Amino acid sequence: MSTQDTNINVAEGIDHQVAMVMDLNKCIGCQTCTIACKDLWTEGGGREYMYWNNVETKPGEGYPRGWEESGGGWTDDGSERVPGEIPSREEYGRPWEFNHSEIMYEGSDEPLRPRDGAEWGPNWDEDQGGGEYPNSYYFYLPRICNHCTHPSCVEACPRQALYKREEDGIVLVDQERCRGYRYCVEGCPYKKVYYNTVSKKSEKCIFCYPRLEGEGPDGETYAPACAEECPPQLRLVGFLDDEDGPIHKLVEEYEVALPLHPEFRTQPNVYYIPPYAPGQHTEDGETVDVDRIPRQYLRELFGDGVDEALDTIERERQRARRGDESELMELLQHKNPAKQYRLGVFDD
Amino acid sequence: MTEERTRALATAVIVGALVLSSTVALTSPTVDARPAHEIPVTERPDAALGSPTAAGWSSVPASDVPLSSAPSSVPNADDTSIEQVHVQAVRSDGEFYLRLQWEDPTQNVSAASTRTFLDAAAVQFPVDTSSRPPIAMGGQDNRVNVWYWSGDGGTQELLAGGAGTTTSFPSPVVDATATYRDGTWTVVYSRELGAGEGSDDRTDLDSADSLDVAFGVWNGANGERAGRKAVSEWHYFPLDTSPQGPPYQTLLWTIAGLAIVAVVGVTAFGVLRTRSDEGER
Repeated sequence: MSTQDTNINVAEGIDHQVAMVMDLNKCIGCQTCTIACKDLWTEGGGREYMYWNNVETKPGEGYPRGWEESGGGWTDDGSERVPGEIPSREEYGRPWEFNHSEIMYEGSDEPLRPRDGAEWGPNWDEDQGGGEYPNSYYFYLPRICNHCTHPSCVEACPRQALYKREEDGIVLVDQERCRGYRYCVEGCPYKKVYYNTVSKKSEKCIFCYPRLEGEGPDGETYAPACAEECPPQLRLVGFLDDEDGPIHKLVEEYEVALPLHPEFRTQPNVYYIPPYAPGQHTEDGETVDVDRIPRQYLRELFGDGVDEALDTIERERQRARRGDESELMELLQHKNPAKQYRLGVFDD
Repeated sequence: MTEERTRALATAVIVGALVLSSTVALTSPTVDARPAHEIPVTERPDAALGSPTAAGWSSVPASDVPLSSAPSSVPNADDTSIEQVHVQAVRSDGEFYLRLQWEDPTQNVSAASTRTFLDAAAVQFPVDTSSRPPIAMGGQDNRVNVWYWSGDGGTQELLAGGAGTTTSFPSPVVDATATYRDGTWTVVYSRELGAGEGSDDRTDLDSADSLDVAFGVWNGANGERAGRKAVSEWHYFPLDTSPQGPPYQTLLWTIAGLAIVAVVGVTAFGVLRTRSDEGER
């Protein structure tokens, strides 16, 4: 394996880098990805509170609550780590107890509801968003581990228990090495490393590597479950350094797929097509040429590249609307899984 | 007797007394006078001191070992809270018992939530007792054996060759039991003296005259874990196995002192006698 033909900057010592592009314009917030992931990897055994994949409403506090302000990542010049905090159980959200027994067995007329302490949880602020009627707005943000090129979780571990896989750059926690110190949990600015409260070790999204390796019963290669199970098929999966693949085109050529919070300086390998909302409405219901989703808010999420990305998308939309050919619109629309998931390209 | 002769004799007596008194002062084996980094080990052939509250511990001499924040690259490494640990050591016929006590106002015995950490303590020995490894978890060519107790009741036996290299033994041979009372943890470690067959990675507690040892304590409530810990410098247990120890030394010095006095006396006497012989001539 070699990378001599590519000018893509993969991490040192890594042959290739897996990557994912999520088109936020297609997300309907159904949480099928969340459940696909949970069913596979985090159903029990101290993982109950974990969502390696979650979908949160933006603007919103997210999961865990307030993760964007929880520290971690790198300083502006990328030389030093920024101190971070470990979220509390409350910030992740506790499972609630419901009054099932009263209603089912004791004839209570109460509505079904959590008993007490239901004050926060994942998606507590779902669909709340921002803005005022008639110009309220929100969009969904699906999140997994970004399998960063410059991962601060890996650097935070004093035992080198976290590492980037040489063959594809997937970031993993070696369960034999981990001693549950949780420096990775506080060091990840996306809060995508979780502490297993039973095994007392940390765990995270593994990019479904056994599926990538064809470890299932049929021996076939599959994309991560969150991608394959997505009803609107909003995710593209492949390698960043596969120059013939759609991810390379979207990220490197058209520059319309952007990392989340690039200012954390970890160089994520999950990229987002920013949300494209219709213009604001006047009180009379007239559409006006004012961004519904404040551009500044999108810049805070996806960096300054968002302006050009949205301009490019708009330009290509107009082309397609005129009946001209637009490779970008094709890339964002095609429904051929063989193109959407390009995983075997570097197999020997 | 001439005047000169009297003076010479007096000198001999004073010199002899000085030699004797300094010999006695040098060799008195009092606890207070022991070197700063020495921790006494009490020999007690039939001891059964595996319990932290065993009555036998009250008569075992103790040392207060000062602790300070370990140098480490982890965040807030210099924010540690335990300042000293009280150490007692006993050697029986086959076992080594070590009792640590320290004050910690918060008892942290569960790490079952995302932000909670355990109280813990560790004892570090060189694997190869003939040389002293780097204090921070040993070195690649000079590894350490660590006995790690944590507040959830777990005991691990670890091997390390530098910071971040800690690896647990698959089948530990160290026991540790603990009690927490009135804001004080008491932990007793016990292990067989020998390292056992085929255990090149375990410290043989019976192989050296002097055994290097260091201590570390974590306060879970303060977020202490990994390199964020309060640690001691290297100390040592004198394990000289000669049957009489210090009294044997005293005897030797006393004989030497007496011999010096005798030699001085005889010499002075000889000189004086020669002179008086000359005077009579």
